[in-house]
Amino acid sequence: MSQTVIDPHIFDELQATAGADFVVELVDTFAAEAPALLADMRHAFADGAAERFRRAAHTLKSNGSTFGATRMAEMARTLELGGLPPNVNGVDALAHEFETTLAALQRLARA
Amino acid sequence: MSWNGGFGRFEILTAERRLQVDGKPVALGSRAFDLLTALAARRDRLVTKDELLDVVWPGLVVEENNLQVQISALRKILGAQTIATVPGRGYQFTAAAAPAATRGSPAAAGSPAGSPAAAAPPASPTRASAPQHARGTERSDAVASRSSRLLVADDNKVNRLLLTRSLELMGHEVASADNGRTALEKLRSERFDLLLLDLEMPEVDGFDLLEKRAADPALRELPVIVTSSLEGVAQIARCIELGADDYLHKPVNPVLLKARVDSSLERKHLRDRQRELIDRLAPGRRDLSEGLAAPGAAPGAQTAEVTLLVAQLRDVDALAASQSAHDTLELLNNWTTLMMDAVEERGGRVNRIAGDGICAVFGAPHLVPADGGAPWAAVRAAQEMFELVAVFNTERAAAGKAPIDLSVGIASGEVLAGYAGTTRRAAYVCVGAPMRRAMLLEAAATQRGSSLLIDGATRAAVSGRVATESAEVPGLPVDTAIATAYAIRVR
Repeated sequence: MSQTVIDPHIFDELQATAGADFVVELVDTFAAEAPALLADMRHAFADGAAERFRRAAHTLKSNGSTFGATRMAEMARTLELGGLPPNVNGVDALAHEFETTLAALQRLARA
Repeated sequence: MSWNGGFGRFEILTAERRLQVDGKPVALGSRAFDLLTALAARRDRLVTKDELLDVVWPGLVVEENNLQVQISALRKILGAQTIATVPGRGYQFTAAAAPAATRGSPAAAGSPAGSPAAAAPPASPTRASAPQHARGTERSDAVASRSSRLLVADDNKVNRLLLTRSLELMGHEVASADNGRTALEKLRSERFDLLLLDLEMPEVDGFDLLEKRAADPALRELPVIVTSSLEGVAQIARCIELGADDYLHKPVNPVLLKARVDSSLERKHLRDRQRELIDRLAPGRRDLSEGLAAPGAAPGAQTAEVTLLVAQLRDVDALAASQSAHDTLELLNNWTTLMMDAVEERGGRVNRIAGDGICAVFGAPHLVPADGGAPWAAVRAAQEMFELVAVFNTERAAAGKAPIDLSVGIASGEVLAGYAGTTRRAAYVCVGAPMRRAMLLEAAATQRGSSLLIDGATRAAVSGRVATESAEVPGLPVDTAIATAYAIRVR
């Protein structure tokens, strides 16, 4: 359900202040940018590059918050603040949550 | 085509051919009005004198000085900074357009053909819905919401686009940069009123940029609002310590964003107004507070090769006796404005205003870029002063007023230049023999009735460019080549 993935109040306010058409473009931008950030997290994990890992998680957290994707934002925040994790389970979970989030956003934006 | 333009304090109503300042109509000559609309319609770029002459005096061969007189008249009404002179190239209208919703007329959104659409909030590629933000500007007060130029620096594309969009909907013109280095380059090459800065960016991050801004006198006063989703008070404190005006946590609340942006811009515009006043009332003083570190400036006290120009309005006592004090003061203001224009047009700096006299320096603290160096720039400025006064006298004659006249003395050589005075009040001064010679030559020009006298050093530098004839001036030693006086015909 979109309502559980995206906070409707935050998303409605975003549409109201920026314009519904603009939010469609913004969601498209998010769809284009996020996979590269997730890939960057995986590469950073493989390279042991903690700072790069943190920054990519930080950006995903920020974008999630913008759209009202609070669960995704919280998962990204945990990765941002937790240092390099022992495995990529957290990144896998975040990638999965991103897919769910994006589908919900695309539905809401074009509703 | 009929269009209206609101620019903060003033509004141009083209259909009625009327100018309103602070909501009240202001009397403006027909040529001045045409000139103002021509400049405002081309406010996105520099406009050459030839182009303006073509627009304002179509089909007529008109001296440039007529243009300068009209420019001076507009500056008096709208503020000196409203029309910037780009020496040797032309003029640029600098006033920012107010958002359409703040204007007096609903027709305000219609910009003239070829002009930027700064009047209305810029449209995004596909815009069907009318967001609340745009409607919100109808309630804004004109001062806080006037259109300004903002830079958004953020490497996160979603955030960058959203912030840019939000600010555009407030009626501002917005540029963006996706890293700190690009942002710094833009800040150093373009004019901005406010920077919205993300902290985590590649190459140069937000903290680095704040440090570089603090170290750069040209950027130091640019207001900065930091927008970040970094957590912890320490980061905010560090930003404030580095000179940021404000901090907004992401995702940015649109109501808070508008309040903070308006507040920062309001302070910026007030500072700009203060600077304008300081420039008018105490020329040169601002350089002192800015540490003389503007590009091309030579900091601190120095010995410098300069050319000094002293100009004096003649027979002020007789003029004052023949008219009201108000008219005399207005005359002095007009005269000073024209003289300053002539000096600044040639890259000189007026460092003293005495009501009926001015002193200007060419070659310090800023170098004169023009061909021929400081002496030729000063002589050309003087020639222009006489030409401007001739045009001004034509206007006075039409109004049944007596003509005015002036005397100018010019001398070149090495002076001690720098700021002198006290901590409470200081002025840029040039001390040395050339200063005394310039004053002596001006006084002699007044006595002799020959209006422009230069010294030998200046003459040597402008040789071949203008005809001169030797002139005897009491008090000047005639046996040294430098101190010998020469007259230049100006009528």
